Amino acid sequence: MGEPLLRAEGISKAFPGVQALDRVTLEIFPGEIHGLVGENGAGKSTLIRILAGAIPRDAGRIFWQGQPVEIADPRHARRLGIAVIHQELSLLPNLTVAQNLLLGREPRTRWGLLDRRAMEQQAWRILHELGLDLDPQAPVGSLPFAQRQMLEIARALSENARLLIMDEPTSALSDREIHRLFELLRDLKARGVAVLFISHRLEEIFQIADRITILRDGHHIGTFPITEVTPSAVVRMMVGREMSEMFVKTATAGTEAILEVRDLTREGVFYGVSFEIRRGEIVGLAGLVGAGRTEVARALFGLDPVDRGEIRIEGKAVRIRSPLDAIRLGMALIPEDRKAQALFLSMALRSNITIAALPRIAPLGLLSGRRLDAASQPCIRHLDIRPPRPGIPVRHLSGGNQQKAVIARWLLLQPRILIMDEPTRGIDVAAKAEIHALMDRLAREGKAILMISSELPEILGISDRILVMREGRIVGELKREEATADRVLALAMGGLHARAA
Amino acid sequence: MRGLRDFLGRWSGGLVLLALWLALTLMTPRFLTPSNLLNVALQSSILAVVALGMTLTIISGGIDLSVGSVVAFTGALTAGLMVRNSWPVGGAILVGLAAGLAMGLLNGALVIYGRLVPFIATLSTMAIARGLTLVYTRGYPISGLPEAFTFLGTGDVLGIPMPVLVMMAVAAGISLLLNHTPWGLHLYAVGGGEDLAWLSGVRVKRIKGLVYGMSGLLAGLGGILLTARLWSAQPNVGIGLELEAIAASVLGGASLSGGYGSVRGTLVGALVMGTVGNGLNLLEVPSYHQQIIKGLIFILAVGLDQLLKTGPLSARSIPMRRRGAS
Amino acid sequence: MRIRLLWLLLGILALIAGACAPTTPAAPGATATPAAAQPQEIVLGLSLSTLNNPFFVTLKEGAEKAAAQYGVRLIVVDAQDDPAKEAANIEDLIQKKVSALLINPTDTKAVVPSIQKANQAGIPVFTVDRAAEGGEIVSHIASDNVAGGRMAAEFLCKALNGKGKVVELEGIPGTSAARDRGKGFNDYLKEQCPGLEVIARQPADFNRAKGLQVFENILQAQPQIDGVFAHNDEMVLGAIQAAEAAGRTGIIFVGFDAIDDAVKAVKDGKLAATVAQQPAEMGRLAVEMAVKYLRGEKVEKFIPVPLSLVTKETVK
Repeated sequence: MGEPLLRAEGISKAFPGVQALDRVTLEIFPGEIHGLVGENGAGKSTLIRILAGAIPRDAGRIFWQGQPVEIADPRHARRLGIAVIHQELSLLPNLTVAQNLLLGREPRTRWGLLDRRAMEQQAWRILHELGLDLDPQAPVGSLPFAQRQMLEIARALSENARLLIMDEPTSALSDREIHRLFELLRDLKARGVAVLFISHRLEEIFQIADRITILRDGHHIGTFPITEVTPSAVVRMMVGREMSEMFVKTATAGTEAILEVRDLTREGVFYGVSFEIRRGEIVGLAGLVGAGRTEVARALFGLDPVDRGEIRIEGKAVRIRSPLDAIRLGMALIPEDRKAQALFLSMALRSNITIAALPRIAPLGLLSGRRLDAASQPCIRHLDIRPPRPGIPVRHLSGGNQQKAVIARWLLLQPRILIMDEPTRGIDVAAKAEIHALMDRLAREGKAILMISSELPEILGISDRILVMREGRIVGELKREEATADRVLALAMGGLHARAA
Repeated sequence: MRGLRDFLGRWSGGLVLLALWLALTLMTPRFLTPSNLLNVALQSSILAVVALGMTLTIISGGIDLSVGSVVAFTGALTAGLMVRNSWPVGGAILVGLAAGLAMGLLNGALVIYGRLVPFIATLSTMAIARGLTLVYTRGYPISGLPEAFTFLGTGDVLGIPMPVLVMMAVAAGISLLLNHTPWGLHLYAVGGGEDLAWLSGVRVKRIKGLVYGMSGLLAGLGGILLTARLWSAQPNVGIGLELEAIAASVLGGASLSGGYGSVRGTLVGALVMGTVGNGLNLLEVPSYHQQIIKGLIFILAVGLDQLLKTGPLSARSIPMRRRGAS
Repeated sequence: MRIRLLWLLLGILALIAGACAPTTPAAPGATATPAAAQPQEIVLGLSLSTLNNPFFVTLKEGAEKAAAQYGVRLIVVDAQDDPAKEAANIEDLIQKKVSALLINPTDTKAVVPSIQKANQAGIPVFTVDRAAEGGEIVSHIASDNVAGGRMAAEFLCKALNGKGKVVELEGIPGTSAARDRGKGFNDYLKEQCPGLEVIARQPADFNRAKGLQVFENILQAQPQIDGVFAHNDEMVLGAIQAAEAAGRTGIIFVGFDAIDDAVKAVKDGKLAATVAQQPAEMGRLAVEMAVKYLRGEKVEKFIPVPLSLVTKETVK
């Protein structure tokens, strides 16, 4: 196969509390399309960011065309010929197609002025070569996503990129657009360009990749020619973790439905979503990133409008048009990104806990530290938030205790329905177990819980029932007893296994 | 439909100006006369010069609140050199411009190396420049300027007032810079996304530094023109001018979040400001009411611009940052 | 959401229009019948340095009243203390081809190019309260500080029955106000009231703290003081403070300007009198002079505006 274009050897990277990568090795050859797969948190993004020069590695070596290199920053990576096409594209929306393509290397006239005609001609040539039908004069902000992605690829190639790293490039594309993208990638492959292709959709990897590398929990599980593995074998390698985290489930679901959702649809996002949650029940919502789980949660909580569908709470049809409506109806949403969406990091624990319940705590609009302490202390005790000091700024708490603070805030409002989006993301193992125990206790107290999680062990361990979403639809429902990692993943990825349930 | 919307979006400032002119023409016979139009141009010209510098900083994603004070400072310095130290007109003007440039570069340095938010950095230099002016003038106006100098403010060539000619020259220069040099393209790139521009090899720091330098330089030019127009340097001129310059830029389609703005738009914006002031006087609107009406016209003009640009009046979902949505 | 906001805006606009209504009746009639239709109509432009100061608001009201009396139209513009805005305002008035300009300059020098423009356009210019250092001015209408000084002297003379020792606290040396007020005061004493002896005359720079300090020293030096005249109220208020602190009573204080604090002191009986400018009269006279001039009458180069004395009897 000749000399690899890029060889990363023994790459390790630790973040506080997590070993994101542990001695991972990756080789990519010219003219190869290389698939990179793994569950959420397996270390794919970390690996890409190291290769792109966005973050430094802790250990390991990188060779580019046989030479050892230190990739200092993203600009250096680009100069070497490594281009990353992120999910959020790096194009300037206020510039035109031609300006974006040639930014930083604009053609100039003899007088040092911009040669606008040459610029358009060059842009047109670049686009034409890749068979892209884009107007060089069009402002990029007005282009649809798929065209922008193509434009970004075009720019990378026109800068002589030898390795394209594509992070979930198909997640926002339609089938036809994916088809075009694959045609383009095959074309590039024929020209000797290497592609590192990260995708959750195994069928795509099997369609386009030559070889596949599997990561799990920061470890390199293996690299195989695509012809030598089957999708189910890949899934097994991705999941194959021991179920070491033990869930003790004590709550049993009641029979009375608290939340009923019928045919909830938001065009272009999710379709015909129907389910119910009973008193004391924990329902797990599983699926790949981009399957529409968070969007369903947002819609239920009134953050996004819906086009169709009916929501009933304790048998009564309700309309939820804003988070305030949802809160009044006894719903609580614990969002996935607690730092950005839930916590006031610089504010004290007591303020974070009480902020949604202030009208109740201070009916006349007057607050005092003592009152806030009195209101927050029972919660702090109840949820065992440590250190149990109401005055401590929340940013000094650990991830698990921060999450408990968010939960405490909502519990003060005594919700009937809790929606928890990735409740244990970024939390260490011990704290995870605590959060799970807390969820179990809440269920025992009669709350209905909808939990979105990308961690299969969590989904399998704590849910009474599991709903699996794929591409905006609920594609399966598994009872606790019949759910296995394989079956959930198969449903989530679609079409690879015999359909369960 | 999209074509029409694009067209309206691009020309909304011009439409507002045309509408104003049409309305004023209908309301008073004094408005649409050659001498009054020149009068409006003259009254908008100094604002336009300063606002063009402001537009550059706004395109870069920043702002320059110090321009009003720099106008006063450079005017006082230029006048002082001529009157107190008997400098020749040309030399005094050059030093005045250099002082404006220096104040601007100081802003740039504070933003780039001092890591200050432009708002704060230029707010500080706004106070400093005003203080320097008062110290230099001891609070008194400086007058007794040579005629060669006052010609810049009150003279005319072929009937066109000098400040208007200077404004046209500045506009042509900035337009060349923005539209026909790599520097201009890079400036828009910086405003569209600093990190992305940096990734494309754009020298972000140098561009930002220069932008503030240019803004200071143009404020300096504005100060010299104003001093020449008033035949004296007044220590308290230019108060609030920065806000008018921002208004002119934004009326002209510049976005305070950076990346957008144009010479043509800002000229139109300055003309709108000048026209409103002139028109309200011609219509004999009492001065207290004038301010209310001005505020309303700006809200309507900028609102119209937004409306035309962003299109349908749709209910938007509540923005909540979505990262790695599942 | 956006639609609602727009309606809100339009609502506000309508409201403002409504609020404007009472002030506009003059305008429609005026714009409907342009100058050409009524060649005799006199339109005066009044450019004020600021309308954020009660003095000039009163001046404007006096001018408006006079304009109504004479049946002429008055256009008022406000420079907001900004010479650049003043220049633009005067240019606009020139564009309107007003019959005469009454200018209360923001600055004696910065207004000169605007006055010259008006001269070129053949529009007669009058200055009000503050003079201009150039251009052709038909007439300057301002308070008569000399008369004010005389008025103060006359009051003191009467109050002391023509005999006693008085102190004069002067303003910043070299300013016209200090010069004129002092001149009027001393001339009157010399000519009409020789029994009053000025035993001390010191500058206190129009400043209250300085007035206090200077008068403290004078109190030390002079065992007997019957009256005090200060060139402005600030200084006299400082002097009253010094006298109270020293326990000296029986001194008759006279100030100048009738600022709020001084009027209050008159009410309280601490200050015997203060000379008040009459901004309304100033505005009235400015309009009257312009109308006279336009009707072909001769107008003096300087029109002094009489002052009035605020005493316990006249204070409101």
